[in-house]
Amino acid sequence: MNSFVKAVGVGFISLGLWSSTALAQDSWWKTAAQPYQGATIRGISESTPASKYVEQVLGPKFTEETGIKVEFEATSWDQMYDKAIKDMEANTGIYDFVYIEQDIVYTYLARDFLVDITKSLADNTKIASPDFKPETFTTFLNYFKDPKSGNVMGVPMEAFIKPYLYRKDLFDDPAIQKAYKDSTGADLKPATTHEEYTQIAKFFTEYGADKELWGTTVQASSSHPAAFYEFFESVAPTFGVYNWGIDGTTFAATEVNGGQMNSAAAKKALNYWVDLLKYAPPESTSSTWDEVAGTFAAGRAAQGLVYGENAAWIATDSSKSTVVGKVGVALPPVEAGVMEAAESGKGYIGYYDGGAFGIPHSSKNKDASLLFLQYIGQASVQTDWALAGSRIVMNSTYDDPKIVEQDKKMNGYYTLMREDGKLFAGAPPFPFHSQVLQVVAPFIYKAIVGEIKPDDALDQAATAAEAELVKLGYRK
Amino acid sequence: MRQSNIGWLFLAPATLILFVVGFVPFIYILYVGFFDWNTNAVDPTLRWAGLQNYRSLVFDTTFLNSLARTLVFAFFVVVSELLLGYVLARALMADRLWGRQFFRTIHTLPIVVAPIAVGATWRLLCVPGFGIVPYYLKLWFGIDYNISTNAYHAFSTAIIMDLWHWTPFVTLSLMAGLTALPKEPLEQAQIDGGNKLQIFWYVIVPMLKPVLLTTVFIRLMDALRSVDEIWMLTKGGPAEATRFIGLHIWINVFPKTDYGYGAAMSLLTLYVTIVLSWLLFVAMTGRKGGAQ
Repeated sequence: MNSFVKAVGVGFISLGLWSSTALAQDSWWKTAAQPYQGATIRGISESTPASKYVEQVLGPKFTEETGIKVEFEATSWDQMYDKAIKDMEANTGIYDFVYIEQDIVYTYLARDFLVDITKSLADNTKIASPDFKPETFTTFLNYFKDPKSGNVMGVPMEAFIKPYLYRKDLFDDPAIQKAYKDSTGADLKPATTHEEYTQIAKFFTEYGADKELWGTTVQASSSHPAAFYEFFESVAPTFGVYNWGIDGTTFAATEVNGGQMNSAAAKKALNYWVDLLKYAPPESTSSTWDEVAGTFAAGRAAQGLVYGENAAWIATDSSKSTVVGKVGVALPPVEAGVMEAAESGKGYIGYYDGGAFGIPHSSKNKDASLLFLQYIGQASVQTDWALAGSRIVMNSTYDDPKIVEQDKKMNGYYTLMREDGKLFAGAPPFPFHSQVLQVVAPFIYKAIVGEIKPDDALDQAATAAEAELVKLGYRK
Repeated sequence: MRQSNIGWLFLAPATLILFVVGFVPFIYILYVGFFDWNTNAVDPTLRWAGLQNYRSLVFDTTFLNSLARTLVFAFFVVVSELLLGYVLARALMADRLWGRQFFRTIHTLPIVVAPIAVGATWRLLCVPGFGIVPYYLKLWFGIDYNISTNAYHAFSTAIIMDLWHWTPFVTLSLMAGLTALPKEPLEQAQIDGGNKLQIFWYVIVPMLKPVLLTTVFIRLMDALRSVDEIWMLTKGGPAEATRFIGLHIWINVFPKTDYGYGAAMSLLTLYVTIVLSWLLFVAMTGRKGGAQ
């Protein structure tokens, strides 16, 4: 009897504690949002699995809890930049929060587009949520800190690496393994060098000639910056060419001036990458990141470098992918010495991509937007968001049982990201990102279609990049 | 006098709007064209450059190639649309054509589709690996059609897409013009023994000149500033094979934020358009110099 009374007592106390905590949680958002009731905040982002989750789940949930309406525009990458930058330049205030991709953040900071989140919350503690803790984010948050003050300028919403995906079912098939051994004399396993990668690509292209299967994906659109990005951010680093081959101090691009854009290593990288087109499906020359994911999900390639934001749905969503349960994940192949350089922090082997939401100075609803960014920066919303968009921005998310379970289905993608994420890096801190991209990309396109040789393409690209940097005043 | 004032009063709103959205931006572009201005430069302010932007344009092979490519594109589409539009107009006016009204309606549908949707649809049709156009061209004719590697394929597809989209506009204009032609001169020409070709060339074409001139001007100016359809179809590629002048200016002004140079490009393109239009006007009307 005594124990029964005790148990009931403990039960009531627990219930009381739980309900008071829950009420306190609810009431904090409601109380903080009280002055902004009925306000509408507008945001814009690239349409990615993670941003769609914000549009469809987190936005409506926030509205339900606070009464602040969220209008969210998930559009194409080009449109997103076009609209967001024009809005911030013209100071029109159409958008209250904007997507800041990791590689554009330096431009936004240089042009003073963004509100200082740390300072704003310190200045107005009434809207500083106790559940928003910047220290709980992974080091990816550092990309969105002001280098001078160390203050947070954007709340990470997605982060992923660009791993090497391969068809595990094909690589593990004994008959295919034998055929590969007979054909090449080597064992079939995920490539660790570029020579192995090319050999595997060649083998599967021949093997899949009557099966609509090719050896590799290549993100080689002959007219979209996606080709520039794949080459300079995913392929060139695996040959030891970092930061687009531009010296971060002198802004030299040509080898003669101390740059690397047209170095022997860079030329070897571009020749290797363009050569892979022989073993890639025909859509490769019009493929951006989306089409590459689509090609892999359709089972048309045996291996490829695929952005991690697509890894979850490719590996687990049978309504969109034909290769569910057949996906293997590994680190990209590298040249000798590159892995060691990455491990020692002197280089990197691929792209650590992602983005954050920031608030433009032009926003007319800064406080309401600050509330929203903190809302999506809570630990409690991270797991389901990660399940939907294969993105992780907080350390605690990795250990959630749901994520551990999904990790198994994804052949350890999250484990790879957690343990080897340090080997990858974001884009270089160049405030002239778009300007150099627009100048250099056409030469990469010309190399893709065979209009000029890869060596000439890089020679011309490096010269043009330097000329542009002189024109912009960065290079003297 | 009073009537004249009322007339100006009625015109005032339209004049004001035209002044604000047409004349003011034009003056602003003219002004910006004399400066070196890139908001991502170390010095993001306007720096006086005089005529340097225009001087650079004369030696800018990418710009000149883009302009030349646009002129070739405009020539092909305008001439083809005119010929095709005339043939279709005559066909759709023929009493013998069964289901004439139905075909007229169907034929007009492309005009109401937004250019961006036209570009996206044609891209889906033509995308290598998945599109039905490359699939059937390979299956039936053994042609390896690829708009992302073959410059000629991309360029000709851009022309065909434009023909599909805008020929109905030319057809409708010419149908309106042909319907309004008086019958007497045609009958007189027949009585005088003119054959069909002679009647077309010496009677119909001269009488249709105002309609032809208007249609050609509209289509020429549209073709010279094609952006959205091309952007969706090829993004200016492969490489720069379909980077027409409108797209080239957009890339320089927006992603590259090179406002001064972009403004100079815009003005030079406007100048070329005006000169071309004037030459065309003179050629079609027989006017010389400033003579009336």
